[in-house]
Amino acid sequence: MLFLSEVIHQIYFVMAALFALLLLRGLFKRKTRKTLIYDIVYAYSIIPFLLRALHIK
Amino acid sequence: MKNDNNVSRKIIILVIVLVLAFLGGREFYEIRHFKQSIIVSDSFTKRFMLSDYSEGIKGTWADTPVYLYDSGEPGGSMLLLGGTHPYEPATMLAAYVAAENISVKKGKVYIIPAANYSAMTLGILGNAYPKYYTLDTEWGSKKFRIGDRNTNPLDQWPDPFTYVHYPSTQNLAYQDIRNLNRTYPGRPDGALTERLSYAIMELIRRESIDLYVDMHEASLMYPVVSTYVAHDRSLDICMMASMTLSAEQFPIKCEASPKGLRGLSHREVGDFSNTLAVLIETAEPFIDRVAGRITEELMVTGKDEFLQTASEAGLLYCQPEYDIDFGVPIQYRVGRHLSATMEAIKWMNEFFPEKELIVDFPLFADLMEKGAGYFLNDPEKADENKLFYN
Repeated sequence: MLFLSEVIHQIYFVMAALFALLLLRGLFKRKTRKTLIYDIVYAYSIIPFLLRALHIK
Repeated sequence: MKNDNNVSRKIIILVIVLVLAFLGGREFYEIRHFKQSIIVSDSFTKRFMLSDYSEGIKGTWADTPVYLYDSGEPGGSMLLLGGTHPYEPATMLAAYVAAENISVKKGKVYIIPAANYSAMTLGILGNAYPKYYTLDTEWGSKKFRIGDRNTNPLDQWPDPFTYVHYPSTQNLAYQDIRNLNRTYPGRPDGALTERLSYAIMELIRRESIDLYVDMHEASLMYPVVSTYVAHDRSLDICMMASMTLSAEQFPIKCEASPKGLRGLSHREVGDFSNTLAVLIETAEPFIDRVAGRITEELMVTGKDEFLQTASEAGLLYCQPEYDIDFGVPIQYRVGRHLSATMEAIKWMNEFFPEKELIVDFPLFADLMEKGAGYFLNDPEKADENKLFYN
């Protein structure tokens, strides 16, 4: 149980990193909503995922 | 050409965002790694990690230092816990004041200033709570961290949909699986907070602790504020302590630990060990939902006009009645904790002479006269053998 719980815990960090990468890709490669405001939204949405992936917050 | 401009724009935005992430992240990193100095008293014997009693927390953020003060004279023993909920910081401050000033003449005392260390490594979510508060001392100011209620999600995550308490199988709120005061008696192979509870239980059982004191703070609208909560075996002690303190120093209630509420220290620690389990609550305006601006000043002085209005409407349970002219200053809360602990020791000595524990540390009157900062030593002038960082 300990091992399984640790695996699940670590998956959350990996998921956070994947979401950060997806948002980064969306920032540069997206096909729709190409205006400045969406650039800002995509960019700042990366922050919580980045901080979680780095074990900071 | 336009495409190049777009890419440049995105890169500029990304760089700005990364700078913001760095600035925000640095604050989170600082509170996670902040260390509190502690200069132990002359009665100090040794410092060890709680994981010495259970491997399950070794190398994790739940592992926490334990300070032992052993007189060498056979007698009773006490475990004093601060920081079960680090967002109740007078409990940790009371533990620091005790650890820096305690004198043990008979028996031994174990002090854990930050029982849930992991919960101390993040701030409270929402409401723009400050991360630190500062106290004036004889040698300058000293900064203290204000933690959260539950174990840091960086250390234990995800929460279950329903937390099933072990071993009672009672269903509790999902987030309480990270609440040290809902996971007793714990288990060696459970979630991190359950393993932490188990380690504390192992210390109590293996060292045959006679008196267990778990210090807490409560919102003023919570009926159990300004109260002893006593396990069945410690009820006589707490009733007598409550009557004596109320007659001589400050009003404090006494309640019997309910048998139907599982996971709480005053119930499970008493049920799963032979110790006399006691929980003490003081009033903390900082965590009341009706309080106004949540500031460092509110943490230290406890003065808030909305609480005054609530008091006038009869909505508060603290004793004595809330008065904004006095507030609920932190030295008052620390003093209450220390005197309430001392009174419990005195009555344990009366009821169980074979468990006699003779100790001395600053009490309510001392704290009210001199303030809490007076009892904290200067780390820069401390003997390096007595200086630790928690």
